[in-house]
Amino acid sequence: MSRLAYLTISMALTFWSTGISVIADESILRDGKISYVMTDLFWSVYQTSEGNQECPRGYNDGPREQFEKLFPAHEYLTVEETQLKQEIATWHPNADPEEFEFFEVEGELSWGLNLDGEVGPNDFVHPDGSVGIDNEVYRAVGCIIGFRGPDGVEYIFQNKAIIDRVYNRMMIQLADVDSLENDDSVTVNWFRGMDRLLTDATGQKAMSGGTQRIDRRWGESLIRQSTGKIEDGILTTDPIDELVIPWMNLSVPSVHIFRDARLQLNLSSEQATGLLAGYADVDTWYYQLIRNDSTHHLSNGQISGISLYKALRRLADAYPDADLGHNTAISTALDIKMTQVYVVDPLEENSE
Amino acid sequence: MYVALVSAGVFLNSHAAEIDSSTEAFLEIPRPAEFHVEITERDGPVFANSNGKTLYKWPLHKLRNGYSGEPPGTPMCYDEVVTVTAGFMSPYPPGIKLPEPEERLSCTELWPPVVAKDNAEEIGKWTVVERRDGSKQWAYEEQPLYTSVRDHFAGDVIGGSTRRYGGDSPAYRVPIGPPSQLPPGFAVRTTTVGRMLTSDKNESIYEFEGDTAAIINCINACLNNWRPVVAPALARAQGEWDLLERSPGVRQWVYRGKPLYTHILDTKSWSQQGSDVPGWTNVFTQRAPSFPQSFTVQSSIAGDVLADVNGRTIYVYRCGEDSIDQLACDHPEDTQIYRLAMCGAGNPAKCLQHWPYLIAGANETSVNRSWRIITIDPKTGRLASNEGEGNLRVWSYRDRPVYLFGGDSRPGDVNGGGTGEWRGQRNGLKAFWLRDDFMNGIL
Repeated sequence: MSRLAYLTISMALTFWSTGISVIADESILRDGKISYVMTDLFWSVYQTSEGNQECPRGYNDGPREQFEKLFPAHEYLTVEETQLKQEIATWHPNADPEEFEFFEVEGELSWGLNLDGEVGPNDFVHPDGSVGIDNEVYRAVGCIIGFRGPDGVEYIFQNKAIIDRVYNRMMIQLADVDSLENDDSVTVNWFRGMDRLLTDATGQKAMSGGTQRIDRRWGESLIRQSTGKIEDGILTTDPIDELVIPWMNLSVPSVHIFRDARLQLNLSSEQATGLLAGYADVDTWYYQLIRNDSTHHLSNGQISGISLYKALRRLADAYPDADLGHNTAISTALDIKMTQVYVVDPLEENSE
Repeated sequence: MYVALVSAGVFLNSHAAEIDSSTEAFLEIPRPAEFHVEITERDGPVFANSNGKTLYKWPLHKLRNGYSGEPPGTPMCYDEVVTVTAGFMSPYPPGIKLPEPEERLSCTELWPPVVAKDNAEEIGKWTVVERRDGSKQWAYEEQPLYTSVRDHFAGDVIGGSTRRYGGDSPAYRVPIGPPSQLPPGFAVRTTTVGRMLTSDKNESIYEFEGDTAAIINCINACLNNWRPVVAPALARAQGEWDLLERSPGVRQWVYRGKPLYTHILDTKSWSQQGSDVPGWTNVFTQRAPSFPQSFTVQSSIAGDVLADVNGRTIYVYRCGEDSIDQLACDHPEDTQIYRLAMCGAGNPAKCLQHWPYLIAGANETSVNRSWRIITIDPKTGRLASNEGEGNLRVWSYRDRPVYLFGGDSRPGDVNGGGTGEWRGQRNGLKAFWLRDDFMNGIL
């Protein structure tokens, strides 16, 4: 029996038995296209209970703890000697040696992808046994409470902002798709949407089947195109030289820049979940964080911007700049969830 | 389609000729004889004293670790020089010594109280409160009143603004003024582009160029996206406001000769999205003062932003101390310790690299009270005489220099926005936004 005949009979039986419309994967394709809008995005952090494996020495101090250690008698000091000294170090960071001991991830396991196709001494092992996993952002943030789920301040608020903020409304459109199970060549278009998400009654859970207009007024510079393939329902895309992801969580419009960015997504007719991986531009990564989160917000997650910048620079593993004399990008992976959406293009060309 | 104008006793055409549509009409309310109303460039009508100096209140404002400002009827601004931090803004504790102690001014040196004479007579919302030393001070709606030493001319609002500010901003001083002349159901909000007319639910109000007070062309399918602002049965025309009858029993508000609408597709408060539709514009009671002709408007990924002649985004510096009196530190006559720390790690030369002043062209001149050319000593950041060697003629907004960011390379880049403490709200820089589709009413 052909796959199409199977699906047709399956759908008919479903209608007959339940009276509810259940659509098989391929039927949702329109002119070979299906689109998904991002609903969750956060740095992949492999966690064990209490961080026993990855953070055996504990978690890092944040600005509040560092301030108390540096200035135990602050009442005898001036704003310049204390608060502004710390703010200067935050806003004019450097890669000089740490004043404090910084706890990097020490475990062997990490989520992520093998970005460079090699297996090196600094690479992690995937929990499924795959080797050569490149994820140095994890090594930097994995022992900082604010980046750990489910209670870390960044974990909560950055993810929340992906849903709440239209500014962050990135989506992909897969084109030239014959099948969501297997297709050796598909086109992947990146756009920003400009509408609220379709959600359930709580307003928190995104639902498939919504509609998004492509933002061609403000989001033109975010449009990208790449290619990919689908194997056993998993989309793997070819690297994009430079993917810009808008990411604002506290009203400061900012971005992350990923070099060699690629997706590995488990596809269904309703959602796409998996990883976005690539090399994050270090300075852009850092300033996105501290422009959106003041020292107060960072303190709530025990995130010392001063220490974290040093770690990012120390662990940066790609895109060396000969003039600067150091790497400018750092390998990373992000957990990504997307839900199916219908896309309307104001130019009325690629509308589904 | 023609619709009959229900003038309700006012002939709009003849009336319109008498209206100065560049400024905002206000309601005359009882007030002491020593005060009058000044029309300001950005903040609409404000109350001023006999010298033309704008009157300000200092409303109570919730900060991270407490409140600052004044509870109703309680002056909190006195002549003591505050020398230590208050610890309002975590994570930094209270009790740290504030900068430049020998140069610090007291609250009242910067914000002189509006003194009431012994025989001052309270009237309407104007009352008299007693200060700690027994002297009397005018209050409006129970908020003690002050003037600002930063204001120099009648109509100046250099000391503060009625613009909306967020929870992590300093406890700002706010100019007071008479109520705008609005029918119930409307409001006006100060933005960077003008005094924006909205509904009392913050929905933007629009007008259509194809309409007149007597002719409506937004009909049929047009009404799928545009909702006429309907007046209640007892509404009456007044001043710049009139009514027309769209259909029997349905009357639509008319302002300055244009029927008013809301945009059904607007997705947020104070939106300008409807103005993207050809023929439709937001309605303002008065437009913001013009910016210099050499400036440009650039599209960024977050909206329109003001830029220089080369398209580089313009930034404003904001600063308020973490002190009990929440004094500003964003003016060139204030301490420059905070700004220099943020822009150049305390090094003025680095500041000029990272955050250069926007230099005025040799042939450029000040445009208005909001956009002026001032002279700055770049080594100190202070105001300087024109003759000094190395001094810079720079553009200022509200007498504060404006800046470019060294990290912006292309028109529309806003990479410097949010730099500094509290996302640029307390000791940092924010882009000069002219259009906000994404930031929850930041204008």
